[in-house]
Amino acid sequence: MVFQQWIVDRQDLIRERQNDLQFMSEEEHQKILIFFCNFMQTLGEQLKLRQQVIATASRFYARNSLKCIDPLLLAPTAIFLASKVEEFGVISNSRLVTTCHQVVKNKFNYAYAQEFPYRTNHILECEFYLLENMDCCLIVYQPYRPLVHFVQDMGYEEQLLPTAWRMVNDSLRTDTCLLYPPYQIALACLMMACVVMQKDTKSWFADIGVDMEKIQEICRYILSFYDLTKNYDEKKEVQALLAKMPKPKTQPSRPPSSQQPQDPNNSSSNQQQDQNVNQNQQMGMTG
Amino acid sequence: MQKYEKLEKIGEGTYGTVFKAKNRETMEIVALKRVRLDDEDEGVPSSALREICLLKELKHRNIVRLYDVLHSDKKLTLVFEHCDQDLKKYFDSLNGDIDPDVVRSFMFQLLRGLAFCHGHNVLHRDLKPQNLLINKNGELKLADFGLARAFGIPVKCYSAEVVTLWYRPPDVLFGAKLYNTAIDMWSAGCIFAELANAGRPLFPGSDVDDQLKRIFKFLGTPTEETWPGHTQLPDYKPFPMYHPTTSLAQVVPKLNTKGKELLQRLLYCNPAFRLSSEESMAHQYFNDLSSSIRNL
Repeated sequence: MVFQQWIVDRQDLIRERQNDLQFMSEEEHQKILIFFCNFMQTLGEQLKLRQQVIATASRFYARNSLKCIDPLLLAPTAIFLASKVEEFGVISNSRLVTTCHQVVKNKFNYAYAQEFPYRTNHILECEFYLLENMDCCLIVYQPYRPLVHFVQDMGYEEQLLPTAWRMVNDSLRTDTCLLYPPYQIALACLMMACVVMQKDTKSWFADIGVDMEKIQEICRYILSFYDLTKNYDEKKEVQALLAKMPKPKTQPSRPPSSQQPQDPNNSSSNQQQDQNVNQNQQMGMTG
Repeated sequence: MQKYEKLEKIGEGTYGTVFKAKNRETMEIVALKRVRLDDEDEGVPSSALREICLLKELKHRNIVRLYDVLHSDKKLTLVFEHCDQDLKKYFDSLNGDIDPDVVRSFMFQLLRGLAFCHGHNVLHRDLKPQNLLINKNGELKLADFGLARAFGIPVKCYSAEVVTLWYRPPDVLFGAKLYNTAIDMWSAGCIFAELANAGRPLFPGSDVDDQLKRIFKFLGTPTEETWPGHTQLPDYKPFPMYHPTTSLAQVVPKLNTKGKELLQRLLYCNPAFRLSSEESMAHQYFNDLSSSIRNL
């Protein structure tokens, strides 16, 4: 199956994140993911992209380490790349940067006091970086299509699909898309939608013969996301969270208008190879 | 880039120049496709991106191998396996005569490459002799996936301008936006006939109307009975009721009976009737295919 390369083992995921988790807790890490998913969602909506493109961009985003690249640059670049891969038609780079400026200024000023610091050349560099980091594996399958298929098979399409669809969107803000195949995520969201809409579909789930343990695991991930957001005020907390992020070594140079010192080292090579294979055993693996 | 010594220019691809080059370490000959990045607004061209990500997935003896993707100094270079020529150039060297065993071998390999693509949810969408590469061992490989895409993704609207006119099926010519593997099967049929005739194209239309007219004059104009729903396609326009006057025997005189039957089953106006690549490979025409080609 094509999506196989996109599924990582939980242990590998923790290992990949070692560097980031030296600076913050897993929960804080997820909050940063949530913030940038929201950012990509807003960008995508401003650019009138389909949800599929936004979802693919989120997947590209999720595979990267905060330490390697500033997520504020990574997020729009992921959108840029996803729009081309999904054959949506290319969004113009300059329009993308303009939209970033507007969105940061008008909708995310609670997180960023300064203006969006990147320009089209940064996006182009970051695109190279992203391609290399993902080893050019860009074909991503999403839960949306299997979800529609399952709902149609089950019936109650009108009541269940909107709720389940939203839950799939929410699942992008968790690690599930890196850990489980799309059809299992679709089933988990459908199952939760059935609970919310009070539809008894136990026999349907029994009939399709899927590994229910996996489905339950996914549900737990998504439910804990809802738990997390319940008492979380992003507007108040996110600035402090963003300040905790490791400063990327390969941070592209800032335009002169910014206060930040110029960083001439803007090569897009992937320097960060994981040397911490042994170290991860002793690191916390709260689960 | 120091790894490769450029030897000569091979040609111009969809999105850049192609060079023949030698790997300095292994002495292996490769093809380098330089991707032009002159459009600041587009970045890496989407056709190049699609080709890269699809060829990453498709590793098969009848599909050109993408060895590596190099980037340096705002240039992107794709490193491909090198083949001696494409089918178009091969035709030019034939002087109108082709060995029936070569026709069978090339057609089988084309179908096998396609079957692998289709089995991996990938449509080629732009099959034509220029995109089929041939090497000295008589191997044929599908290349130029710039217009291909994975179709496992819900996309209602593919761009209508995708297949080179001569190999474009009538459903796409009528503006069908939702298509499937049958698009490639039509093209494969056209290439089959062209192979059998040592390079004379089957339907060399000059524009969309002329292309459809040539197809219908040969196969007969479709009706709502033979092809339900085609009159609802976005760019449908009525054509005179042509009735086939030329037989397959006249069009592909050198092809044997089984070959003609296979050709007929690929060239249906109604995409639902066209054989799949797997079915075509199992066709009797290939019964006497030598095992050396089967195992090539």
